[in-house]
Amino acid sequence: MSNENMTEPVVNENTSGLDDFEPAAAENTAPAAASALDFDDDPLSATGVSRKSLVIFFLIDTSGSMKGKKMGELNTVMEELIPEIRRVGEADTEVKVAVLTFSTEVRWMYSTPIAIEDFEWARLRASGVTSMGAAFKELSLRMSRNSYLNSPSLSFAPVIFLMTDGYPSDDYREGLKELQSNSWYKFGLKAALGIGDEANDDVLAEFTGSKDTVVHAYSGTQLAQMIKIIAVTSAQIGSKSMTLSDDSGHELGEEDVFSAKQKLLGQQIQELVSNKVEDNDVPFDTGW
Amino acid sequence: MFNGFSHSVKGASHEKTGLVCQDSSAYKVTDNYAVAVVADGHGSKKHFRSNMGSKFAVEATIEAIDTFFGDYDQFVSNFPKNHRMIIRNIQKQAIYNWNLKVNAHVEANPVTEEEKSKFTEEEFADIPQASYYGTTLIAGVAANDFTFGLQIGDGTLVALFDDGEAVMPMEYNEAAPANVTASMCNSNAASMFSGFYVENKKLIAMYASTDGLYTSFGSENDFLDYHTIITSQLSNLENFKAVIINNLTKRSHYGTEDDISLSCVYDTDMIADNMDLILSKVEENKKRAAERKAALLTKKIDNFE
Repeated sequence: MSNENMTEPVVNENTSGLDDFEPAAAENTAPAAASALDFDDDPLSATGVSRKSLVIFFLIDTSGSMKGKKMGELNTVMEELIPEIRRVGEADTEVKVAVLTFSTEVRWMYSTPIAIEDFEWARLRASGVTSMGAAFKELSLRMSRNSYLNSPSLSFAPVIFLMTDGYPSDDYREGLKELQSNSWYKFGLKAALGIGDEANDDVLAEFTGSKDTVVHAYSGTQLAQMIKIIAVTSAQIGSKSMTLSDDSGHELGEEDVFSAKQKLLGQQIQELVSNKVEDNDVPFDTGW
Repeated sequence: MFNGFSHSVKGASHEKTGLVCQDSSAYKVTDNYAVAVVADGHGSKKHFRSNMGSKFAVEATIEAIDTFFGDYDQFVSNFPKNHRMIIRNIQKQAIYNWNLKVNAHVEANPVTEEEKSKFTEEEFADIPQASYYGTTLIAGVAANDFTFGLQIGDGTLVALFDDGEAVMPMEYNEAAPANVTASMCNSNAASMFSGFYVENKKLIAMYASTDGLYTSFGSENDFLDYHTIITSQLSNLENFKAVIINNLTKRSHYGTEDDISLSCVYDTDMIADNMDLILSKVEENKKRAAERKAALLTKKIDNFE
């Protein structure tokens, strides 16, 4: 017995015709509506369809100097931010969030990136020193196909957002060197927020690779604005499918797409920051 | 007795941009062996005929396997002893057949001015002819006493043997260098194939799929469980065909929007004999998936306030 079927959607060629798969079905791939595709008794619905996905990594300084207004404000903003990021992902991207805190120790909020729909913020407490280098090493370890970036549906380079209010207390350069050898870091969208007077923008620019993607917040109001601007803008740009071509129509490679995205992030962040509302709030460092 | 099915759907992103489906899929069933094969044409600019390339890849591979099974008795007596070498030879034969088809196609259909118009003269001169047709290839072969597979480039093989577990059996990889897309069109394609061989387990079903299917899942566990569910439905393939076609279409539309191909071969007797086992695996997988989700959502950091 020989039963051979060749499914070739373009020419609808069926080399034997012995199988009764309708060749036309291969071309009929644009459903009119989701409901048209759903079978009430579809046994395959037990394994859901996953959209293209993007992971946003938040690296958050929880050292002692963040205690008080900074940490309180950050907790509140992050709780408010979740629904806003959720909206970014509503179109066609599943956004996942991973939060790494660093003080004397580095700790993840969850053991894996969590879909934004399921994500709940755990309010953070500040204490200890600023082990930023250790955080960079831990991030590098987890940003791997064998670890936090193991989802088959992962389609975009991650967004990495660093927030800190002080100078690292460990050898951050050693950690950064390790992180810089990680391809996900290289192609990821990086942004950083310095909080208060002590945060060193030069260190943050070393992390992001450019001053355009570093901003500073000196008050609670600014902190809320900056976190939202950076997180939402980078999630939007990060989840954009970009196929670039230059004037002559030549295709550009992954590296070009990455630099275009990083540049666009820098431009948009600077534009949004310069347009932000007046701030009459009391600076963090007043009276500290 | 073997049976099978195969299907390809065009990705939603290709619908939007007016591109044709770059995937091809096929299966072949005989008394002695069955082959499931899929291929994913690269689709980018310089691979402007990769839809034909993927079609040639599935045809070339089935022809190569047919050739090796031609003298059945001799083949099955030699194969277990020399499986690595013979699989390598099948890979070489598939590449050879593919190149013959590509050459014949170019001869009958010279590159048009329109195809050339997207490149400068120098750029076009730099593209090897085989690259126009660049494609991946994944094939799984089930015989009465052994199972094997071969693969170049992305895509996945999943097999369910007599223990009912869905596994990805591809194991030995000759030399897949990092950051290089392995393709039938590479001049060193023969050195970029992966393969596997199993002789001590009875096969229930085996599936070859292009990466559009894999990337429509949130986790590898879900992807494997999906194949167990399909296997649980194969005792009534005729009724199940519409369901699987619609599911693949849904995955292509709401997942990563890529083309999706799935090809399957299975042993009807093994399906009948092991249906209770397969159904129990489906239930077990559901339970495990719920446990995984609950563990995932447990915070490592508690609220401090």
